[in-house]
Amino acid sequence: MVDLTVKIGGEAGFGIQTCGLFIGKIAARSGYHAFEYSEYPSLIRGGHNVIEVRISDDKVYSQEKKTDVLICLNEETFKLHQDEIKEGGAVIFDQDKVDIREAKTANKNISYLRLPFAKILKDASLSLVMMNNIALGALMHILGADFEVLKGLISENFARKGEEVINKNIQAANLGYTYAKKNYPLGYKIKIPKKPETPEKLYISGNEMVGLAAIASGCKLYCAYPMTPASTLLHYLASKSEESGMVVKHAEDEISVINMAIGASWAGVRAMVGTSGGGFALMVEGVSLAGITETPIVILMGQRPGPATGMPTWTEQGDLLFILHAGHGEFPKIVLAPGDMEEAFKLTLEAFNLADIYQTPVFLLTDKYILEGHQSIEESKIKSEKLKINRGKLLTQEELIKIADYKRYQDTDDGVSPRAIPGMKNSLHQANSYEHLEDGHTTEDARQRCLQVEKRNRKVKTFLAKDAKLPTFYGKKEAPITVISWGSMKAPILQAMKSGGEKFNYLHFSYLFPLPEKELTKLIHSLKSILLVENNSTAQLGQLLRMVTGVEIENKLLKYSGRPIYPEEVLEKVDQLL
Amino acid sequence: MNFEGYFPTWCPGCGNFGIWAGVKSAFKNLGITADNVAVIFGIGCSGNMNDFLWGNSFHALHGRAVPVAVGVKIANHKLPVVAIVGDGDCYGEGGNHLIHAARGNHDITTVVHDNRVYGLTTGQVAPTALQGFKSKSTPSGIIEIPLNPIALAIVSGATFVAQGFAGDINHLTGLIEEAIVHKGFSLVNIFQPCVTFNPITTYDWYNKRVYKLSDKNHDTHDLKSALEKSMEFGEKIPIGVIYQEDRPTYTESLPQLQKGVLVDADLNIDIDTFATEFV
Repeated sequence: MVDLTVKIGGEAGFGIQTCGLFIGKIAARSGYHAFEYSEYPSLIRGGHNVIEVRISDDKVYSQEKKTDVLICLNEETFKLHQDEIKEGGAVIFDQDKVDIREAKTANKNISYLRLPFAKILKDASLSLVMMNNIALGALMHILGADFEVLKGLISENFARKGEEVINKNIQAANLGYTYAKKNYPLGYKIKIPKKPETPEKLYISGNEMVGLAAIASGCKLYCAYPMTPASTLLHYLASKSEESGMVVKHAEDEISVINMAIGASWAGVRAMVGTSGGGFALMVEGVSLAGITETPIVILMGQRPGPATGMPTWTEQGDLLFILHAGHGEFPKIVLAPGDMEEAFKLTLEAFNLADIYQTPVFLLTDKYILEGHQSIEESKIKSEKLKINRGKLLTQEELIKIADYKRYQDTDDGVSPRAIPGMKNSLHQANSYEHLEDGHTTEDARQRCLQVEKRNRKVKTFLAKDAKLPTFYGKKEAPITVISWGSMKAPILQAMKSGGEKFNYLHFSYLFPLPEKELTKLIHSLKSILLVENNSTAQLGQLLRMVTGVEIENKLLKYSGRPIYPEEVLEKVDQLL
Repeated sequence: MNFEGYFPTWCPGCGNFGIWAGVKSAFKNLGITADNVAVIFGIGCSGNMNDFLWGNSFHALHGRAVPVAVGVKIANHKLPVVAIVGDGDCYGEGGNHLIHAARGNHDITTVVHDNRVYGLTTGQVAPTALQGFKSKSTPSGIIEIPLNPIALAIVSGATFVAQGFAGDINHLTGLIEEAIVHKGFSLVNIFQPCVTFNPITTYDWYNKRVYKLSDKNHDTHDLKSALEKSMEFGEKIPIGVIYQEDRPTYTESLPQLQKGVLVDADLNIDIDTFATEFV
């Protein structure tokens, strides 16, 4: 049974991210599952970057606290992370650069694999930036992985840069591989040889997965202003725009971003915006505008620790209540929070459909942890996902032409009015940010005002009856404790369940709002003992659940250091409660 | 399909009537029908035209008509898109959007009602208020100098910049028509007397000062002389087309839109080819 973590650290600019991506892809291509978590400061050069990849035979849900193999591209990595090495683990380092004389880990039976990165490169007249290739090559040997897989990855990665660059990188990797094989023939105790015939897996980040799903959803305009952790979604979609036909617009500010998207959506195009807390704060009036004009829009919100600029490159779930309350006035909105890559794909498709069906803002509430982290997922899980595009009550030209007196805000039983788009024959209407009559003209009439308020509110009822979903239950029914959490925290909780499955089960919220009051209250009351787990300091889901069900959850595991919750922390808390 | 809406609620004598007439005549002259246009209104007395000019329209938030208009144009670049906004709307609250829409040469027409006051909120100063103008928010007179919309639009990259006067509807109609026909970002700033809150810049005040550039030998394609004209303000004030330039529009520059309009694009995209790179 393979379950190991490889951690690589060094200065920003030394290809740490690429290294992490390669390790994960090597694992996935060799038939294993992988999960990546990275930590880096808000800097471009210098500073400490570290990335860890956990590799397993079966599904791996999250990172772990301890590391099997620590690769140190600088001395700082060793100093900062030596305590995390497992009993019997290994360190790969350059003895000319890293001083291990004062190592605190002597009693843990650690293998010190000395690898003179700099000297090897110098002797072969190769650039020092190829240090990561030496490390990767050596890692291939000590983990008994197939070197051809690494060669393939290097060739693909540098395909645009030409044969010479590819060959030099492969040469460096080969030097690392050969050196490790000669000096440490046994390698590490856990090996990841290439498995024969395993289902194809994608190794993909949350941002890329949301992007892929947006393309699949027929999203035609993505509008954003760069902001960590949502920026790589902008980069991904921009790089694919010519192939996908999507227009990707980096606008002047987030206010413009959301208004452009609303304009495009009114004109009939599926549109999405993406940002983080500070950028979303600027979009808030636009959310309200989409609410009253009943314009579909998908908003990807990538949380990071606030307030204000906060800690840009770290993670938190601190904006749930902000999202629920964002936008002046009363109007419906839908909030979805994916917990892993499969949910990121499905819920993105769902978000576009729900936005069209209910003609209102739909949120994908995510965070740095899931957006920037990579996970492996069987390709079939995406391909089999034949969720149909549903544009709700968007009228076709044939339907519209038959309507004698078209009214954009017609009062209906489900609260949703037929939608025409400008340019169609017989489409004449006004989308109005003022309160309006059924035909769109501005009104301050009391009766008409109430009619429209009630019509918009009715959409919540319709959603609750037709499309809302209760939280998903994981684990054994008879377990004494039920852990409750939402979004990305599914990862450490399900990972903890792998070893603590007798102790707790898990109630996972990915449909966060609106919540079905009666069913949920009944469900919460049926639970024996509850532990609330959230990556914030004020238990925001707990507050929401109290609001909806009246139940106050007393046992909480809250973390707000900018770091995600670890499975070990979940187990520790569960054990305290048992 | 004749853009007939409610009868306006503007004060009798308001400059908005002239602009309303100018926009309607321009649409009519160009053969634009009420369901084949997108008119994006801002918020203010100008934006209240939404109910008096009944065509396909989006009544946006204060300051945000321009980005909504840009979004509409990206979605359907064959549709004429006109933003009807005020001076506070477009030069104050939404100033940033104006600059960037001009840079991008988005093919929209921005019609600005410039009355130098905030009418709908009872007469506070607008960004174009003349220095020293006394209002409820500036009882001792405004300290700031007025913003120069024409010069700002030109240096920001607008490819059609004109100055109109609500007191000369025929001339104004022509300018709006030219602006709509123009491929690229066009701004028509319109001097609009506010009979209730602005006792200084009245019809009379403008009538004494404005002269038509078309009567003079002004080269609209010459950037330097356009900037010179944009600075002319005092005893003589030019109206007409100040600047014009041919530059590819934003949507013309997008390869995705060369086959057709975005709103007609096929939504069903096979993602297999996109997924391959992640294997």
